[in-house]
Amino acid sequence: MAVTIAIHSYKGGSGKTSFAINLASAYASVGKSVCLLDVDLKAPSSFNYLLPEGKHWVNDIFEGRYGVMDVVKDVSKEMGTKGAFYVGYSNPDILAVREVSSKDRKWQSKALKLLMAAKKDLSNAGIDVVILDTGAGVDFTSVNAIAVADHVISVGRPGASRQRLMEQVIGGVYMPLDKDCYIIENMCHSDNPTDISGKKFDLPVLASISCMCDVAVRGDNEVLVLTEPGHMFSKKIYDIMESLDKITS
Amino acid sequence: MTDNSSTEEMIRLLREISGKLDRILIQGSVDKESDDGILDVLDVMTLLTLPDHLRTTATALFELGSATADELAERTNKERAVESNYLNQLVRMGHVAKNRNGRKVYFSIGEGLGK
Repeated sequence: MAVTIAIHSYKGGSGKTSFAINLASAYASVGKSVCLLDVDLKAPSSFNYLLPEGKHWVNDIFEGRYGVMDVVKDVSKEMGTKGAFYVGYSNPDILAVREVSSKDRKWQSKALKLLMAAKKDLSNAGIDVVILDTGAGVDFTSVNAIAVADHVISVGRPGASRQRLMEQVIGGVYMPLDKDCYIIENMCHSDNPTDISGKKFDLPVLASISCMCDVAVRGDNEVLVLTEPGHMFSKKIYDIMESLDKITS
Repeated sequence: MTDNSSTEEMIRLLREISGKLDRILIQGSVDKESDDGILDVLDVMTLLTLPDHLRTTATALFELGSATADELAERTNKERAVESNYLNQLVRMGHVAKNRNGRKVYFSIGEGLGK
Protein backbone atom coordinates (compact mmCIF):
# COMPACT_ATOMS: atom_id res chain seq x y z
CA MET A 1 0.00 0.00 0.00
CA ALA A 2 1.48 3.33 -1.05
CA VAL A 3 1.75 6.13 1.49
CA THR A 4 0.30 9.38 0.16
CA ILE A 5 1.66 12.64 1.55
CA ALA A 6 0.22 16.05 0.64
CA ILE A 7 2.63 18.97 0.97
CA HIS A 8 0.55 22.03 1.74
CA SER A 9 0.96 25.55 3.08
CA TYR A 10 -1.63 28.05 4.20
CA LYS A 11 0.13 30.78 2.21
CA GLY A 12 2.39 30.86 -0.83
CA GLY A 13 6.15 31.26 -0.81
CA SER A 14 6.83 28.91 2.08
CA GLY A 15 9.24 26.72 0.11
CA LYS A 16 6.65 23.98 -0.38
CA THR A 17 7.70 22.98 -3.90
CA SER A 18 11.43 22.86 -3.12
CA PHE A 19 10.63 20.77 -0.08
CA ALA A 20 8.44 18.40 -2.13
CA ILE A 21 11.08 17.93 -4.87
CA ASN A 22 13.82 17.26 -2.33
CA LEU A 23 11.73 14.93 -0.17
CA ALA A 24 10.68 12.89 -3.22
CA SER A 25 14.31 12.78 -4.44
CA ALA A 26 15.49 11.69 -1.00
CA TYR A 27 13.06 8.77 -0.99
CA ALA A 28 14.07 7.76 -4.54
CA SER A 29 17.77 8.05 -3.70
CA VAL A 30 17.46 5.44 -0.93
CA GLY A 31 15.68 3.02 -3.28
CA LYS A 32 12.01 3.76 -2.58
CA SER A 33 9.65 3.82 -5.53
CA VAL A 34 8.31 7.37 -5.59
CA CYS A 35 5.71 9.39 -7.47
CA LEU A 36 5.79 13.18 -7.26
CA LEU A 37 2.72 14.97 -8.65
CA ASP A 38 2.25 18.70 -9.10
CA VAL A 39 -1.47 19.02 -8.34
CA ASP A 40 -1.45 22.82 -8.22
CA LEU A 41 -3.40 23.18 -11.46
CA LYS A 42 -4.00 26.90 -10.87
CA ALA A 43 -0.35 27.81 -10.39
CA PRO A 44 1.80 25.01 -11.83
CA SER A 45 5.31 24.96 -10.42
CA SER A 46 6.76 22.87 -13.29
CA PHE A 47 8.98 21.68 -10.43
CA ASN A 48 11.23 24.67 -11.05
CA TYR A 49 12.13 23.06 -14.43
CA LEU A 50 14.48 20.70 -12.57
CA LEU A 51 12.89 17.40 -13.55
CA PRO A 52 12.26 16.07 -17.09
CA GLU A 53 8.66 16.41 -18.38
CA GLY A 54 6.32 13.60 -19.38
CA LYS A 55 4.06 13.30 -22.43
CA HIS A 56 0.81 14.14 -20.69
CA TRP A 57 -0.31 16.42 -17.88
CA VAL A 58 -1.76 15.90 -14.42
CA ASN A 59 -4.73 17.87 -15.83
CA ASP A 60 -5.46 14.81 -18.01
CA ILE A 61 -5.98 12.73 -14.85
CA PHE A 62 -8.52 15.21 -13.50
CA GLU A 63 -10.30 15.33 -16.85
CA GLY A 64 -10.42 11.52 -16.99
CA ARG A 65 -8.54 11.58 -20.33
CA TYR A 66 -5.60 9.43 -19.16
CA GLY A 67 -4.80 7.21 -16.22
CA VAL A 68 -2.09 8.34 -13.83
CA MET A 69 0.43 5.76 -15.10
CA ASP A 70 0.07 7.20 -18.65
CA VAL A 71 0.78 10.67 -17.32
CA VAL A 72 3.80 10.14 -15.09
CA LYS A 73 7.33 9.67 -16.40
CA ASP A 74 10.11 7.74 -14.67
CA VAL A 75 13.03 10.15 -14.36
CA SER A 76 15.24 7.90 -12.19
CA LYS A 77 17.82 7.52 -14.97
CA GLU A 78 18.15 11.26 -15.56
CA MET A 79 18.22 12.01 -11.84
CA GLY A 80 20.45 9.06 -10.97
CA THR A 81 18.25 7.65 -8.21
CA LYS A 82 18.30 4.05 -6.99
CA GLY A 83 14.51 3.76 -6.80
CA ALA A 84 11.94 4.51 -9.51
CA PHE A 85 11.14 8.23 -9.58
CA TYR A 86 7.88 9.06 -11.36
CA VAL A 87 6.97 12.68 -11.97
CA GLY A 88 3.73 14.27 -13.20
CA TYR A 89 3.39 17.94 -14.15
CA SER A 90 0.43 20.29 -14.22
CA ASN A 91 0.05 22.06 -17.53
CA PRO A 92 1.66 25.52 -17.17
CA ASP A 93 0.04 26.86 -20.37
CA ILE A 94 -2.10 29.89 -19.50
CA LEU A 95 -5.07 28.48 -21.45
CA ALA A 96 -5.01 25.34 -19.27
CA VAL A 97 -4.70 27.42 -16.10
CA ARG A 98 -7.63 29.63 -17.13
CA GLU A 99 -9.72 26.59 -17.95
CA VAL A 100 -9.10 25.06 -14.50
CA SER A 101 -9.99 28.31 -12.78
CA SER A 102 -13.47 28.25 -14.30
CA LYS A 103 -14.37 24.70 -13.31
CA ASP A 104 -17.61 24.25 -11.36
CA ARG A 105 -18.31 22.19 -8.25
CA LYS A 106 -19.55 19.22 -10.24
CA TRP A 107 -16.22 19.02 -12.06
CA GLN A 108 -14.35 19.34 -8.76
CA SER A 109 -16.37 16.50 -7.25
CA LYS A 110 -15.50 14.27 -10.20
CA ALA A 111 -11.87 15.40 -9.98
CA LEU A 112 -11.78 14.18 -6.37
CA LYS A 113 -13.11 10.78 -7.43
CA LEU A 114 -10.52 10.55 -10.23
CA LEU A 115 -7.71 11.53 -7.86
CA MET A 116 -8.83 8.83 -5.40
CA ALA A 117 -8.73 6.33 -8.30
CA ALA A 118 -5.25 7.56 -9.30
CA LYS A 119 -4.02 6.93 -5.76
CA LYS A 120 -5.26 3.34 -6.01
CA ASP A 121 -3.58 2.89 -9.42
CA LEU A 122 -0.25 4.14 -8.06
CA SER A 123 -0.48 1.75 -5.15
CA ASN A 124 -1.26 -1.13 -7.52
CA ALA A 125 1.71 -0.15 -9.69
CA GLY A 126 4.01 -0.76 -6.72
CA ILE A 127 4.75 2.84 -5.78
CA ASP A 128 5.86 3.16 -2.13
CA VAL A 129 5.45 6.89 -1.62
CA VAL A 130 3.17 9.36 -3.42
CA ILE A 131 3.95 13.02 -2.84
CA LEU A 132 1.34 15.59 -3.84
CA ASP A 133 2.68 19.11 -4.20
CA THR A 134 -0.52 21.09 -3.62
CA GLY A 135 -1.43 24.71 -4.18
CA ALA A 136 -1.14 27.15 -1.29
CA GLY A 137 -4.19 28.23 0.69
CA VAL A 138 -7.69 26.82 0.61
CA ASP A 139 -9.30 26.15 -2.74
CA PHE A 140 -10.57 23.10 -4.60
CA THR A 141 -7.21 22.07 -6.06
CA SER A 142 -5.47 22.05 -2.68
CA VAL A 143 -8.31 20.64 -0.56
CA ASN A 144 -9.04 17.83 -3.06
CA ALA A 145 -5.40 16.75 -2.74
CA ILE A 146 -5.51 16.98 1.05
CA ALA A 147 -8.68 14.84 1.09
CA VAL A 148 -6.90 12.15 -0.92
CA ALA A 149 -3.71 12.08 1.19
CA ASP A 150 -3.02 9.87 4.20
CA HIS A 151 -0.72 12.47 5.76
CA VAL A 152 -0.46 16.22 5.40
CA ILE A 153 2.76 18.14 5.85
CA SER A 154 2.18 21.82 6.35
CA VAL A 155 5.19 23.91 5.38
CA GLY A 156 5.20 27.35 6.93
CA ARG A 157 7.42 30.23 7.82
CA PRO A 158 7.44 31.24 11.48
CA GLY A 159 5.60 34.39 12.61
CA ALA A 160 2.71 35.33 14.88
CA SER A 161 0.30 36.29 12.08
CA ARG A 162 1.09 33.11 10.18
CA GLN A 163 0.49 31.09 13.33
CA ARG A 164 -3.12 32.29 13.40
CA LEU A 165 -3.64 31.47 9.71
CA MET A 166 -2.19 28.05 10.13
CA GLU A 167 -4.47 27.28 13.06
CA GLN A 168 -7.44 28.18 10.87
CA VAL A 169 -6.40 25.70 8.20
CA ILE A 170 -5.61 22.96 10.72
CA GLY A 171 -8.95 23.36 12.49
CA GLY A 172 -11.02 24.01 9.39
CA VAL A 173 -9.53 21.64 6.81
CA TYR A 174 -6.97 19.09 8.07
CA MET A 175 -8.85 18.06 11.24
CA PRO A 176 -12.36 17.75 9.72
CA LEU A 177 -10.87 15.58 6.96
CA ASP A 178 -9.31 13.43 9.68
CA LYS A 179 -5.73 13.76 8.46
CA ASP A 180 -2.50 13.04 10.30
CA CYS A 181 -0.68 16.33 10.04
CA TYR A 182 2.85 17.47 10.69
CA ILE A 183 4.55 20.80 10.53
CA ILE A 184 7.78 21.90 8.87
CA GLU A 185 9.02 25.28 9.99
CA ASN A 186 10.87 26.61 7.00
CA MET A 187 13.15 29.61 6.51
CA CYS A 188 13.55 30.10 10.28
CA HIS A 189 15.66 32.89 11.71
CA SER A 190 17.38 32.41 15.04
CA ASP A 191 16.32 35.87 16.21
CA ASN A 192 12.62 35.20 15.57
CA PRO A 193 11.22 33.60 18.71
CA THR A 194 7.74 32.80 17.36
CA ASP A 195 7.38 29.20 16.35
CA ILE A 196 4.48 27.82 14.34
CA SER A 197 4.08 24.52 16.12
CA GLY A 198 0.29 24.79 15.97
CA LYS A 199 0.10 25.50 19.72
CA LYS A 200 -3.66 25.16 19.83
CA PHE A 201 -3.52 21.71 18.24
CA ASP A 202 -0.24 20.34 19.57
CA LEU A 203 0.92 18.96 16.23
CA PRO A 204 4.35 17.41 15.81
CA VAL A 205 7.01 19.65 14.25
CA LEU A 206 9.09 17.37 12.05
CA ALA A 207 11.85 19.92 11.54
CA SER A 208 12.82 23.55 11.75
CA ILE A 209 14.85 24.45 8.70
CA SER A 210 16.97 27.58 8.91
CA CYS A 211 16.76 30.27 6.29
CA MET A 212 19.69 29.59 3.98
CA CYS A 213 20.31 31.97 1.09
CA ASP A 214 22.14 29.37 -0.99
CA VAL A 215 19.13 27.02 -0.79
CA ALA A 216 16.93 29.70 -2.35
CA VAL A 217 19.49 30.45 -5.07
CA ARG A 218 20.67 26.92 -5.85
CA GLY A 219 17.15 25.45 -5.52
CA ASP A 220 16.35 26.82 -8.96
CA ASN A 221 19.17 24.91 -10.64
CA GLU A 222 19.69 21.71 -8.70
CA VAL A 223 18.07 19.20 -6.36
CA LEU A 224 20.24 19.65 -3.30
CA VAL A 225 19.61 16.24 -1.70
CA LEU A 226 21.02 14.67 -4.87
CA THR A 227 23.85 17.09 -5.73
CA GLU A 228 25.03 17.75 -2.18
CA PRO A 229 23.65 15.21 0.32
CA GLY A 230 25.98 16.59 2.99
CA HIS A 231 24.45 20.10 2.84
CA MET A 232 22.66 21.22 6.01
CA PHE A 233 19.37 21.51 4.09
CA SER A 234 19.77 18.02 2.56
CA LYS A 235 20.54 16.53 5.97
CA LYS A 236 17.31 18.05 7.32
CA ILE A 237 15.34 16.50 4.46
CA TYR A 238 16.85 13.07 5.12
CA ASP A 239 16.05 13.47 8.84
CA ILE A 240 12.43 14.32 7.97
CA MET A 241 12.25 11.28 5.70
CA GLU A 242 13.43 9.05 8.54
CA SER A 243 10.89 10.56 10.96
CA LEU A 244 8.15 10.01 8.38
CA ASP A 245 9.26 6.42 7.86
CA LYS A 246 8.88 5.78 11.57
CA ILE A 247 5.44 7.39 11.65
CA THR A 248 4.08 5.66 8.54
CA SER A 249 5.53 2.17 9.04
CA MET B 1 -36.65 71.36 12.13
CA THR B 2 -37.30 73.30 8.92
CA ASP B 3 -39.49 71.96 6.07
CA ASN B 4 -36.43 71.61 3.93
CA SER B 5 -34.49 69.47 6.36
CA SER B 6 -37.48 67.19 7.10
CA THR B 7 -37.93 66.57 3.36
CA GLU B 8 -34.26 65.70 3.11
CA GLU B 9 -34.63 63.35 6.06
CA MET B 10 -37.65 61.68 4.39
CA ILE B 11 -35.73 61.18 1.15
CA ARG B 12 -32.81 59.71 3.08
CA LEU B 13 -35.12 57.25 4.84
CA LEU B 14 -36.86 56.29 1.59
CA ARG B 15 -33.47 55.64 -0.02
CA GLU B 16 -32.51 53.49 2.96
CA ILE B 17 -35.75 51.47 2.63
CA SER B 18 -35.22 51.14 -1.12
CA GLY B 19 -31.69 49.81 -0.47
CA LYS B 20 -33.03 47.29 2.04
CA LEU B 21 -35.68 46.12 -0.44
CA ASP B 22 -32.99 45.65 -3.09
CA ARG B 23 -31.00 43.49 -0.70
CA ILE B 24 -34.09 41.41 0.16
CA LEU B 25 -34.73 40.84 -3.54
CA ILE B 26 -31.11 39.74 -4.10
CA GLN B 27 -31.25 37.55 -1.00
CA GLY B 28 -34.49 35.98 -2.23
CA SER B 29 -32.97 34.88 -5.51
CA VAL B 30 -29.96 33.39 -3.69
CA ASP B 31 -32.29 31.43 -1.37
CA LYS B 32 -34.13 30.07 -4.36
CA GLU B 33 -30.88 28.87 -5.88
CA SER B 34 -29.83 27.08 -2.73
CA ASP B 35 -33.26 25.41 -2.54
CA ASP B 36 -32.47 23.78 -5.86
CA GLY B 37 -28.97 23.22 -4.60
CA ILE B 38 -30.07 20.82 -1.87
CA LEU B 39 -30.09 18.08 -4.47
CA ASP B 40 -26.61 19.06 -5.33
CA VAL B 41 -23.27 17.53 -6.07
CA LEU B 42 -20.99 16.65 -3.15
CA ASP B 43 -17.68 18.46 -3.57
CA VAL B 44 -14.92 18.68 -1.01
CA MET B 45 -15.97 22.12 0.31
CA THR B 46 -19.52 20.84 0.91
CA LEU B 47 -18.00 17.77 2.52
CA LEU B 48 -16.27 20.06 5.04
CA THR B 49 -19.61 21.60 6.05
CA LEU B 50 -21.28 18.24 6.84
CA PRO B 51 -21.63 17.15 10.48
CA ASP B 52 -18.83 14.83 11.65
CA HIS B 53 -20.71 11.54 11.33
CA LEU B 54 -21.96 12.21 7.79
CA ARG B 55 -18.56 13.53 6.72
CA THR B 56 -16.84 10.33 7.84
CA THR B 57 -19.36 8.26 5.89
CA ALA B 58 -19.10 10.41 2.76
CA THR B 59 -15.28 10.47 2.85
CA ALA B 60 -15.16 6.68 3.13
CA LEU B 61 -17.56 6.45 0.19
CA PHE B 62 -15.32 8.73 -1.89
CA GLU B 63 -12.45 6.35 -1.18
CA LEU B 64 -14.39 3.17 -1.92
CA GLY B 65 -16.09 4.52 -5.06
CA SER B 66 -19.17 2.33 -4.73
CA ALA B 67 -20.09 0.27 -1.67
CA THR B 68 -22.85 -1.51 0.25
CA ALA B 69 -23.74 -0.42 3.77
CA ASP B 70 -21.90 -3.54 5.02
CA GLU B 71 -18.68 -2.64 3.21
CA LEU B 72 -18.86 0.92 4.45
CA ALA B 73 -19.52 -0.13 8.05
CA GLU B 74 -16.43 -2.33 7.88
CA ARG B 75 -14.38 0.67 6.73
CA THR B 76 -15.67 3.08 9.38
CA ASN B 77 -15.87 0.52 12.22
CA LYS B 78 -19.53 1.30 12.85
CA GLU B 79 -22.68 -0.81 13.00
CA ARG B 80 -24.24 -1.62 9.63
CA ALA B 81 -27.62 -0.20 10.70
CA VAL B 82 -25.96 3.07 11.78
CA GLU B 83 -24.05 3.40 8.52
CA SER B 84 -27.18 2.55 6.54
CA ASN B 85 -29.02 5.34 8.32
CA TYR B 86 -26.23 7.85 7.54
CA LEU B 87 -26.10 6.74 3.90
CA ASN B 88 -29.82 7.22 3.51
CA GLN B 89 -29.55 10.70 5.04
CA LEU B 90 -26.92 11.51 2.41
CA VAL B 91 -29.24 10.08 -0.27
CA ARG B 92 -32.07 12.35 0.92
CA MET B 93 -29.68 15.33 0.79
CA GLY B 94 -28.99 14.40 -2.83
CA HIS B 95 -25.27 13.85 -2.24
CA VAL B 96 -25.30 10.07 -2.61
CA ALA B 97 -26.92 7.84 -5.23
CA LYS B 98 -28.50 4.51 -4.37
CA ASN B 99 -28.69 1.62 -6.84
CA ARG B 100 -30.10 -1.86 -6.44
CA ASN B 101 -28.22 -4.74 -8.03
CA GLY B 102 -30.03 -8.03 -7.35
CA ARG B 103 -30.43 -8.29 -3.60
CA LYS B 104 -27.68 -5.81 -2.83
CA VAL B 105 -27.98 -2.05 -2.56
CA TYR B 106 -24.95 -0.05 -3.67
CA PHE B 107 -24.24 3.54 -2.66
CA SER B 108 -21.97 5.96 -4.53
CA ILE B 109 -21.23 9.68 -4.56
CA GLY B 110 -23.87 11.18 -6.84
CA GLU B 111 -23.27 13.09 -10.04
CA GLY B 112 -25.40 15.93 -8.71
CA LEU B 113 -28.71 17.07 -10.11
CA GLY B 114 -27.89 20.75 -9.76
CA LYS B 115 -25.02 22.64 -11.28
